[in-house]
Amino acid sequence: MGGNSNSAKAASRLLDILNVRVVGGGDRVLVLSHGFGTDQSAWNRVLPFFQRDFRVVLYDLVCAGSVNPDHFDFRRYTTLDAYVDDLLAILDALHVDRCFFVGHSVSAMIGILAAIRRPDLFLKLILIGASPRFLNDRDYHGGFEKGEVEKVCAAMEANYEAWVRGFAPLAVGADVPAAVREFSRTLFNMRPDISLFVSRTVFNSDLRGVLGLVRVPCVVVQTAKDVSVPASVAAYLKAHLGGRTTVEILPVEGHLPHLSAPGALVQVLRRALACSNR
Amino acid sequence: MAADSVAGAHLHDLPEPILTQIFSLVEDVRSRNAMALACRRWRCLERSTRAALALRGHVRSPFLLPTCFAAVEHLDLSLLSPWGHHPFLLHYQQQQQYNYLVDQVALVAARLAQAFPGVSSLAVYARDPSVVAALAPLWPGLRAARLVRWHQRPPNLPLGADLAPLLAACPSLASLDLSQFYCWTEDIPPALQEHPVVAASLARLDLLCPASNEGFRSSELADIAAACPNLTHLLAPCVFNPRCIEFVGDDALVALATSCPRLSLLHLVDPATLSPARGDSDAKEDAAITGLGLEGFFARLPQLEDLALDLCHNVKDSAPALEALSYKCPKIKSLKLGQFQGVCKGTWLHLDGISVCGRLESLCIKNSADLTDSSLATIARGCRRLSRLEIHRCDKVTETGIKKLSSMLRSTLVDVSISGCQLLDATRSLRALEPIRDRIERLHIDCIWASPDLDQLPQTPERTAADDSDADDVYDEIPGESRNKKCKYAESNHDDIESSCFWFRTWARLRSLSLWIPAGEVLTPLGDAGLLSCPQLEDICIKVEGDCRTCPRPRQREFGLSFLALYPRLAKMKLDCGEAVGYALTAPTGHMDLSLWERFYLQGIDGLSLYELDYSPPQDKEVNQRSLSLPATGLIQMCSSLRKLFIHGTTHEHFMRFFLGMPLLRDVQLREDYYPAPENDMSTEMRVDSCSRFEEALNSRRIPD
Repeated sequence: MGGNSNSAKAASRLLDILNVRVVGGGDRVLVLSHGFGTDQSAWNRVLPFFQRDFRVVLYDLVCAGSVNPDHFDFRRYTTLDAYVDDLLAILDALHVDRCFFVGHSVSAMIGILAAIRRPDLFLKLILIGASPRFLNDRDYHGGFEKGEVEKVCAAMEANYEAWVRGFAPLAVGADVPAAVREFSRTLFNMRPDISLFVSRTVFNSDLRGVLGLVRVPCVVVQTAKDVSVPASVAAYLKAHLGGRTTVEILPVEGHLPHLSAPGALVQVLRRALACSNR
Repeated sequence: MAADSVAGAHLHDLPEPILTQIFSLVEDVRSRNAMALACRRWRCLERSTRAALALRGHVRSPFLLPTCFAAVEHLDLSLLSPWGHHPFLLHYQQQQQYNYLVDQVALVAARLAQAFPGVSSLAVYARDPSVVAALAPLWPGLRAARLVRWHQRPPNLPLGADLAPLLAACPSLASLDLSQFYCWTEDIPPALQEHPVVAASLARLDLLCPASNEGFRSSELADIAAACPNLTHLLAPCVFNPRCIEFVGDDALVALATSCPRLSLLHLVDPATLSPARGDSDAKEDAAITGLGLEGFFARLPQLEDLALDLCHNVKDSAPALEALSYKCPKIKSLKLGQFQGVCKGTWLHLDGISVCGRLESLCIKNSADLTDSSLATIARGCRRLSRLEIHRCDKVTETGIKKLSSMLRSTLVDVSISGCQLLDATRSLRALEPIRDRIERLHIDCIWASPDLDQLPQTPERTAADDSDADDVYDEIPGESRNKKCKYAESNHDDIESSCFWFRTWARLRSLSLWIPAGEVLTPLGDAGLLSCPQLEDICIKVEGDCRTCPRPRQREFGLSFLALYPRLAKMKLDCGEAVGYALTAPTGHMDLSLWERFYLQGIDGLSLYELDYSPPQDKEVNQRSLSLPATGLIQMCSSLRKLFIHGTTHEHFMRFFLGMPLLRDVQLREDYYPAPENDMSTEMRVDSCSRFEEALNSRRIPD
């Protein structure tokens, strides 16, 4: 009993810490998960279209700018698994047993890992700007060369050095090579030590091997011109994801369609969410 | 105080009542704080005589309210932290535990009444009517109230519900200031009509809120005027557009004047003029206000001292009406006219139009297309007491006109603002103000650097001829030291290259400078333009406006704030980039992000020894986001002498923590005072508890002085 109440308290603390918010009404649950460097307000332009029909769950990743920085445990959040733990804990605390999941960028990867762990929990995964591995490999084109990634990390380290010494961290997303620029623009939006740490986590992650373990149907949403996610990645995902996968291409530019072209994205989301009426 | 130590007697030996009286006359807050530190007795005295207090911090814990300030009459609760939040609510108690909220409200309200029994003037952030309903009954003798709200008006609120609790509880209310309170124009007349007693006692009503872009219609204006016959000060936006129904025209103005004959300050403006962006005023349409109508209007307002009629539609041939103004309203001291044509023709030697108003001390003329140099000269001849002049978008005015006016009004003119005039770029404006360079105290210019089309104007020979006659005029009208002035003018005008004479161009009394600069331009040519030496400059306000998405990329890496290090006494800066619009996170390839723009603008700020900074970050209009980015935070953090920092936008908690590294920082607040202010759930960057955590950390540091 004591254990139960403790875990219940810990769960509600987590809801508080990660600013979990449930809006809207409906019998279906939709989880919106943002990518690194933004926070749940990135969904503001998309949210009104789904409030009527869904109970929408929004939350902030632990590295988001609106979360108390003291909660970022550098020992715990070394890989994406810790973020998956957070997501599943939130859904358990809210007593959600089936939901639709929309994840952007790195959250898409978190969604994939969560769906492997708990396939019954997710009715459908909608992955926006997803990529199982960012670094190029022998036969795989992830979009980023090692040298470019090094430049990003160097800029972040310079920021970190400056910040630690009390100087102004001045490098921003636009100072790095063009290929990585769009992606890392949001990464530079975080506190220098957190962003350095998180970007290492992201660039070292490689989920190609586990894609086949996903059983849940997926929709891969990609913009026509996203410098961080080449078109071949969408095809790769379709080929390797274990469940039934469709690919939707948005005729817009950029890595953040929910901010730059919400109208087009909403149409795609509506189509994806309407198809499965289970 | 030191002078009192005569023959061994010390200030401290004075009897208590006299000391109390002395203390109650000191108004400056820092002096009072210093006095309170001297000894316990002085602290008690200081606390018991303080008359004005602004509370910061959170009212969550009622026992933390100070009770020693028993004499406070002006209480400002609008800056309670976190800014804009309901003062009594804890953030997570909005939906649940409603009973607890009611108790909490009652407790805090009772405590406030106990702590400040003598409040006669109150300012409060009234997010919804419950705040006012809780506070107003505590002080039934309230004489002045200022309500602040930049958030959206709560939906489903009946008309007038925001004001009703205040008007019901405070029957002797004399002044109501809603200039920072967003509500609908339909809210005001019903509230006033339902409380006729209070409305009749109202003397001051300020309804000029820049947030709303609607104005009062003629029927609404008439209702307000009828309800408040004793008004002496009225400021209201009105619908002057003759295409709208119920527009305000001659009849409406006359009705207003008939209902409120005691008006001494009247500002009626078109709501479009209140927006912070400088819009295009290409309105060629005429207003429904005519000269004759204005004459009738002025005839009914004999007490008028301060008039502003800032329209967006033309009022033609206004000269006869302005002459009538000076006869019918002999006390007129301050005048602001927007889009009035024919203000002063100045073609003959006699005074006409506005120049007849000899007692005028402050004049502002906006969008007057036919105001010429000779008009200005005539105004200078007629309005000999003019101390403040503002000219906006008067495209026929040239450097010669301003120069002549400033030389003729040398003894009185101390505050000049020149903006938006095509023929007056920064260099020319500063040259035109040469005659009062050593006297001017407040100045505004637009930072337009190179205007190639102005080189077509006739050059030096004609100017020197005109200036000789100027010098003659000056010689005749100002006795005494003008001879030296004439020599100086002769030198400066006959020198071929002016740039070599900058060593004596000191703006000796300039205390406050305001600059407007288009997005993408840099600040550094300010020195070449003529503002190199300003030994007394304390206060600078820089407004950047423009579209960062379409303006060309700046050629330099820095905006040039480090240039301001030339001004030795600069302590207070307001940097308003709020009207610079750009992309926050969604910039297409080839465009600059707002984080890059902020880095451009703020680079070099660490070189200035600023005491206070008011910064508005540039905004991304698509997502209604005004937020500090990483480089901006880092650069502001380097400003080690800063004590007060106000950010008119939001930022992440991670970034706010940077500011804790600034050793002298005492007062920080995020004030989203623009409409619509972000609701807590819409913008998640700076949440309530983030603010509290930050403030606790800030307050727990040791203060060196």
